[in-house]
Amino acid sequence: MSAATGSNRVIERDLVVIGGGPAGLAAAIAAREAGGDVLLIERDRILGGILNQCIHDGFGLHRFGEALSGPEYAGRFISRLRELDVPVMQNTIVLGLSRDRRLLVSRLGELQEIRARAVILAMGCRERTRGALSIPGHRPSGVYTAGAAQNFVNMENIMPGSRICILGSGDIGLIMARRMTLEGAKVEAVFELLPWSSGLPRNIRQCLVDYGIPLFLSTTVVDIVGMGRLEGVRVAQVDEQRRPVEGTERFVPCDTLLLSVGLIPENELAREAGISLSPITGGALVDADCMTDVPGIFSCGNALHVHDLVDRVSEEAERAGRAAAAYVSGALPKADAPVAVRPGAGVRYVMPDHVSVPKVISGPEKITLAFRVTEPRRDGVVRLTTDDGVVLKEEKHPRLHPAEMVWASLDLSQFEEMKRSGKTLEVSAS
Amino acid sequence: MTNADLNYDVLIVGAGVVGCAIARELARHRKREGEAFRVGVLEKEPDVSFGTSSRNSAVLHSGINYAPGSLRGALNVKGNAMMDRLCADLKVPIKRIGKLTVALTEEDLPGLHKQRSQGEANGVPGMELMDNAKMRTIQPGIEGILGLWTPTSAIISSFGLTIALAENAQANGVDFHLNCEVVGVERGEGKRTFGVRGSDGRVYTSRLLINAAGLHCDEVSAMLGITDVKIWSCRGEYYVLDRRLDGTLKTLIYPVPGPNDPGLGIHLTPTVDGNILIGPSATYIPEEDREDYRATSAVMADLRREGLHLLPDLAASDFIRSFSGNRPKQTPPEKGGNADFTIEETSVPGFIHLLGIESPGLTSSPAIAGMVRDMVAKHIPLAERDDFAPERPGFIGTFAELPLEQRMDLIRTEPEYGEVICRCERITKREIRQAIENPLGARTMASIKYRARAQMGRCQGGFCMPRIVRMLRDEYGFDPKDFFIRGGAPMFSGHVREGGDGR
Amino acid sequence: MTEKTIESIKGEFVCVVCPNGCFIEAEYTTEGGAKLLSLAGNRCERGRDWVRQELETPMRTIATSIPVRDGDFLLASVRTAAPIPLERVADVMREIRARTLDAPLSIGQVVIKNPAGTNTEIVVTREVARR
Repeated sequence: MSAATGSNRVIERDLVVIGGGPAGLAAAIAAREAGGDVLLIERDRILGGILNQCIHDGFGLHRFGEALSGPEYAGRFISRLRELDVPVMQNTIVLGLSRDRRLLVSRLGELQEIRARAVILAMGCRERTRGALSIPGHRPSGVYTAGAAQNFVNMENIMPGSRICILGSGDIGLIMARRMTLEGAKVEAVFELLPWSSGLPRNIRQCLVDYGIPLFLSTTVVDIVGMGRLEGVRVAQVDEQRRPVEGTERFVPCDTLLLSVGLIPENELAREAGISLSPITGGALVDADCMTDVPGIFSCGNALHVHDLVDRVSEEAERAGRAAAAYVSGALPKADAPVAVRPGAGVRYVMPDHVSVPKVISGPEKITLAFRVTEPRRDGVVRLTTDDGVVLKEEKHPRLHPAEMVWASLDLSQFEEMKRSGKTLEVSAS
Repeated sequence: MTNADLNYDVLIVGAGVVGCAIARELARHRKREGEAFRVGVLEKEPDVSFGTSSRNSAVLHSGINYAPGSLRGALNVKGNAMMDRLCADLKVPIKRIGKLTVALTEEDLPGLHKQRSQGEANGVPGMELMDNAKMRTIQPGIEGILGLWTPTSAIISSFGLTIALAENAQANGVDFHLNCEVVGVERGEGKRTFGVRGSDGRVYTSRLLINAAGLHCDEVSAMLGITDVKIWSCRGEYYVLDRRLDGTLKTLIYPVPGPNDPGLGIHLTPTVDGNILIGPSATYIPEEDREDYRATSAVMADLRREGLHLLPDLAASDFIRSFSGNRPKQTPPEKGGNADFTIEETSVPGFIHLLGIESPGLTSSPAIAGMVRDMVAKHIPLAERDDFAPERPGFIGTFAELPLEQRMDLIRTEPEYGEVICRCERITKREIRQAIENPLGARTMASIKYRARAQMGRCQGGFCMPRIVRMLRDEYGFDPKDFFIRGGAPMFSGHVREGGDGR
Repeated sequence: MTEKTIESIKGEFVCVVCPNGCFIEAEYTTEGGAKLLSLAGNRCERGRDWVRQELETPMRTIATSIPVRDGDFLLASVRTAAPIPLERVADVMREIRARTLDAPLSIGQVVIKNPAGTNTEIVVTREVARR
């Protein structure tokens, strides 16, 4: 990116938040409330991100004690953003981001450079596609990611098809099973490769069981059939290595296949800026303030790691917003050797990747850890231990499930102690 | 349309790269005498380039693979040399990145030397044998004991070339009839030698008929009683890799082909768009499924394994898509290998067919067009037009690849260059609009993809496809049943609800 | 998920009252209408009430859309203001499906009162401005 020409003004801002979905909204609000100058950039025509198409209820149980729909949940944050007069650029896409926080932004009639003192990455995530799954077969019409189908049905008044199969039991797929049923489509089945569902239990109950839609675990689509329109899918059971078992194949006629097979944090910009990413989450490696390894660039929400509940996205993003505002005002202590946080047995990843000490003004003297377990457990135990085996905390969980994020916290003083003694924190589940 | 509009001097069946190259070449000419020279193209698909021409490695070959004296050897070298000018005129992406054919062991050496001597006989320019050290100056880390360097090998946009040829031919007066499959051919009298019945229910007449129907050319020839030719369909499967790996391959790297291989072997091919292809496999498929473009689990696993062998740091997320393309072969499965092109005026006077135009058909296409033009000129004396417009006006290529300052300037005059619709490939609304408004009137999602490159990135349309759908509906009046990926059946079944503002 | 014994049925429920999603094992009978006998696994009293309701009259919130005239969106998303009996979902949907709305619409606006006699309201959940 070269410096813009004289005729193109370069805009300077303290803090730029990229993305106006739940994470970006909460981050911008928190930063503004902390007294910062904030600009929010949103690529769509409206704020709220994916929440706009999530018209089902269940958002805000933690935060507002109510079961709101997605647009309503977003609406509350948008109202607050307007009260605070946070400037917003809508229909605007960030094309480039450099390590020194120069952004190239584009919108109708305008391509310009913005220099920011701090940036919050809140671009959300994208859906894994058929290509990434390597499903054999034809390429007929009628194969959609569940999120794209949700967009068509709930935003554009377009019905993708009438006889539906769903691959993957992620929440969007479950929600769409009910949604399509309510609109008169016949949902034949949901197929899940894993021996457990990757959706929330209440969604299994309310979206599938209520409507008599069968869920087949350890089953996957092995062939997509149809030269023009989808005619059906061939499914098979899989063994422990997730390989199709011979003799279990059957053909399920359908005209539409929805894929709900995982979400990938959107991090093209982070990559361009040279930010280190986690190979497990696909998001940035951050400290407890959500700061990446490029000073002044923060990440939160589904761009950081894919969440199960939007309430937690808002919480995490507020932490990022406060910290970014502190960074701009010079109040964020400079990080030296941080305390590393590592997943132990039974844990896939832990957020944050490390805790910078001294921290922080971005919250109370507690450090929040979010993590996911590798497999479902009943009556499980979560342990926070130092790398030399000292148990700092032990919590019982009647139920641990990979689909559900687990939260724990430790006092900042415990991290200070770990730092003094040069230790690492490990989070494990059994 | 009156009947007179369906009367042509020359009708071409099939709008692949060969049919479109012939159409454009004929468009460069006028009749030496008499009224206007009328050329028409009949294509069964809703757009040009939907068959083998959009389903291949998109490589321009140098000409080392073919026996001296063969038609394809000669056409390959000649066609390759014509491409720079053609691509410059038509603004088609081309990169002369050269190719290394690599002998890994002593056993490969005879094959490599054979390629070199074939190349010499065919007049391939700039060939050089390289030891491993020399090869590594071109491709760091490459294995192999000896390589044959062919600098004229290149990568190109194959559908880009086909579309450009068609649109330019049309701009110079050729008629394209899309969604029009040839269902029957009758022989007539005089200037109306052929009566061609289309699936649109109309009868097109012509004096000369050119069969460039690719996988179906034997079927078209059979309509005129020529039953001694036969085409077998041989599928090649590919994976497309993420652009993250752009720059990994500095050149084309091929193994030395075995004598009976139906293709050139599985290998990595960089594309002009910055992706890498793994493939193609080679599997003969049943007669009735000539256009079955399925991806099979066995081949996909092979390609993944091969890909990981060649690029060890490949991640699962780098495999963004798979696709297949089918080669029209004149050699039956039990024989394998491949045969020379058949390009001839048949026993039916005025009927020219082009059979078995598999690799190097893309490279040869402009030379094939010249050859067919000469065959046409024997019946209809031709002269070059002085009003032929060889260039595509108003087409700037991919906006995102222009220098920043030029982009800033262009956005001021064309504001929609500022609105990005396809995030992965950074394709703007202006480019999408140009693609939608293409002069051939092709309106499928694939038509937009091939022209604007939207939906080709790592999210595979997840982001931009709904936006393109919205644009087509709001600005071009599309109903849910008007949306097609390629052809066949609509993408959507209808509205969720009727009422309100409809749409 | 259920297994029949002579006089009682054991069932496993995932509580949906809050995101804790407790696994609750309940024993119940269906003779003379569903009746809860005993349960275990719930972390709070709301779980007991919920299981009883799940057995006797499961209640659900439903969300869908209604087409809009002259709006900047084609559809207004709507939901039931309070849960309705699961068995009445189809009736409520039928009533919603018959409707068309006029922009502007605001979040919380009531567009159907007492749908299918379920004693709740259908409320808009998206701001839809006039086009």
